[in-house]
Amino acid sequence: MLSLVAGRILSSIGTLLFVGLALFALTRSGPGSPARIVLGADATTEQIAQFEQTHGLDRPFLSQYASWLGDVMRGDFGKSFVTGRDVATDIVGALPVTLSIVLFAFAIALVCGVGIGVLAALRPGGAFDRLSRFAAVLGLSIPAFWLGIVLIRFLAVDLRWLPPGGYFPLSAGLSLHLQSILMPSVSLAVYYIAVLARMTQASLQETLRGDYVRTARAMGLSSSQVVFYALVNALPPVINLAALSFGYMFGWALIIEQVFNIPGLSRALLNAISQRDFLLLQGIVFLFTAIFVFANLGADLLNRLLDPRQRAAA
Amino acid sequence: MLTVPTNRRAFLAAAAGGALGGLLPASLLHAQPTSGKTLTIVLPSNPITIDPINQLNHDAMVLGQTVFENLVEYDVDGVLKPQLAKALPVISADKKTYTFDLRDDVTFHNGKKMTAEDVKYSFDYLLDPANKAARRSLFTRITKVTVLDPLKVQFELSEPYGPWLYFLTKYMGIYPAGSRKEHGDDYFKSRPAGVGTGFGVFEEWKPNDYISFRKNPNYWRKGLPHWDRLVVKMIPEDATRVAYLLTGQVDLISAPPPREFNRLKTMPGVTGASRPTLGGALLMYTNNLKAPFDDVNFRKAVSCAIDRKTIGEKVYYGLLEPSAVPAPSRGWWFNAEADKELAFDIDKAKAMLAKSKYATGAEFDLSIQAEPYLLDTKDAAIFVQAQLAKIGIKVNLKVYEFSVLIQQAIRGEHQAALQVFMSPGEPSYIMQVCLTPEQVLSKSTGYNNPEFNQTLAAAFAETEEAKLKEAYGKLQALAARDAPIGVLGYVHASNLWRQALQDVKVNQGLTIAPGEIKV
Repeated sequence: MLSLVAGRILSSIGTLLFVGLALFALTRSGPGSPARIVLGADATTEQIAQFEQTHGLDRPFLSQYASWLGDVMRGDFGKSFVTGRDVATDIVGALPVTLSIVLFAFAIALVCGVGIGVLAALRPGGAFDRLSRFAAVLGLSIPAFWLGIVLIRFLAVDLRWLPPGGYFPLSAGLSLHLQSILMPSVSLAVYYIAVLARMTQASLQETLRGDYVRTARAMGLSSSQVVFYALVNALPPVINLAALSFGYMFGWALIIEQVFNIPGLSRALLNAISQRDFLLLQGIVFLFTAIFVFANLGADLLNRLLDPRQRAAA
Repeated sequence: MLTVPTNRRAFLAAAAGGALGGLLPASLLHAQPTSGKTLTIVLPSNPITIDPINQLNHDAMVLGQTVFENLVEYDVDGVLKPQLAKALPVISADKKTYTFDLRDDVTFHNGKKMTAEDVKYSFDYLLDPANKAARRSLFTRITKVTVLDPLKVQFELSEPYGPWLYFLTKYMGIYPAGSRKEHGDDYFKSRPAGVGTGFGVFEEWKPNDYISFRKNPNYWRKGLPHWDRLVVKMIPEDATRVAYLLTGQVDLISAPPPREFNRLKTMPGVTGASRPTLGGALLMYTNNLKAPFDDVNFRKAVSCAIDRKTIGEKVYYGLLEPSAVPAPSRGWWFNAEADKELAFDIDKAKAMLAKSKYATGAEFDLSIQAEPYLLDTKDAAIFVQAQLAKIGIKVNLKVYEFSVLIQQAIRGEHQAALQVFMSPGEPSYIMQVCLTPEQVLSKSTGYNNPEFNQTLAAAFAETEEAKLKEAYGKLQALAARDAPIGVLGYVHASNLWRQALQDVKVNQGLTIAPGEIKV
């Protein structure tokens, strides 16, 4: 088991390195130079060349990648040649903002998604099941950015219950913090509530149809005990999906942070893309990749703990 | 007695309020204060720098102009006025020497008095190629800056070049002697505290969120500014920017969405205004060196087939002032006759096309920018595509990111490219940059006409408005004759603000002018 865990961790690190290389190649393969953004449309060719020389952008690709990777290994993400700020400091400053929204959204998605899925699975074809299916279709269909704009329109502009955007850290007070992350988190969570509800319902219903469940019922186990054990067995695919969802949420947060004017990582990433800020772009995407890879690693390990068959296979 | 809400909105509010009440105490909702003496304004994009000598984004110039000032300034009506100088400069007969008398009541934010030494230092720093100032190229005709006495400074130019005064207002600032070496460029870029003379003192920059300034208590224009703190927020999403204004979270927004501008400015508690800028043009860079734009009749046919009035009114809801020549119709140098030559006339367009090499029809790629800047050029491009189809010209729209599109235009790799081009509002800038050789955007049109170049050079040596009008008029006539570039019109600067604000004036120079606004 230990060697398997070590193997998974090593392969995750390998994935990260590969993604780092691909990312590095992609950011530099575009036709636009950051010099054009920094120096402007009317910069001369000489100015552009001088900028690229100063910032090492004219060096061979692999040489640039090797020094970047070496620096990253030492925790140094470099200094943005667009803004002049330290990339690691910018990332560390913005990470808690994105994390608080994604974690809150993830908690909402997990609690509501699994809860709705379980309730729907208990009475297949019942009113709640039919309602949850309808709601899931809606949840899957509504684009998060549109939902965000609708929420701003009604909850902020019309009803004036919540601020239309912006972010307050927890240190500003729990209420202010919740005000600022409620609408963004709900906008982000709705799609994943639907996804997780559908998966939980399908997986649990299938498990409940299993022979061993019938046997358990025949042997006189209470309904709640049966559902509990069935749920544990139905969870692995849900956990995998939740881990994927957690990673994807960082991607969707790109749009949500833009809509709600939240100064998080995704906002920084969008600016980095539009400003050709290679180092910041690489730093953030590298971090997102790490979160995605390690969330999946965590899900795998959790599944092995829950599922004796997977442990045996290890 | 308990009252029951009778309308739908009140009922919904009451119902949802009850549901959320436990979670969010009503007293704490809307905790972002806008009352008191804080003026909060909004920009649509994230600035890269505050430093005016490196600033490229026009709407972000409000940041530099809050901290730094210049010898002269454009006022909101586009009139050149003295700022740190007592009066406009005395210009020598050969138009190569400019002498300024400086105000004696100006101090930097660090308390040091501003003198001619500071002015010389600021320009010497800008002009030194080693310092790589992005805006250096505009000022390279300055050969020498001399301190005549502590409050008198003289500039010598290599050749007559009047436009440089206009560029000062946006791309330059005066900072204390020695300050660049003392603090470094990053300091000027992101935290220039103590190094300006402007009405706002830099306070804080929270990346991707806001930049704040506090009132300069020793500002030389007594009584200004009327606020204690200025907060400049960055909100890229149109709907969110508007929501911030409607909910009173901010006081003034720039670049409101054109589609909603007219509706929003009549909403309760909100007002707004717009006016055409002198330097923001919606241009179609037509590559004269590539077919089908290598034929002057084809270029004229394209120009005459475009109904700019409808684009201005129906596509941009009044936020684009039609013009077919590189001059705003409200500018004093506008040549209406030249404009008429290239204006919308479908019969003329057909006749011109028939006279061209491409009489049987032509097709070209029109590059457009993916992300809107001031206006969404995609809207105009679709309209132009439909209009040209009426005379048998097929337009293929190609969408590119800004840096890719501008690269195409600079290298002359495009056939046609549509872009909002922001210039300082100086009459000759667009013509110089796009229509004369060895300029950054020379290849965007590939146009090189000795008569045009000589007329422009002569205009640079003029300072009298009447003679300048004649020169600029001739340049527009040449542009009408050769149609080297497509001009669709001049962009409006537009702002929306809370009705409670006073003395808000929309700036023809496009940036927001917050100095005199009363909160």
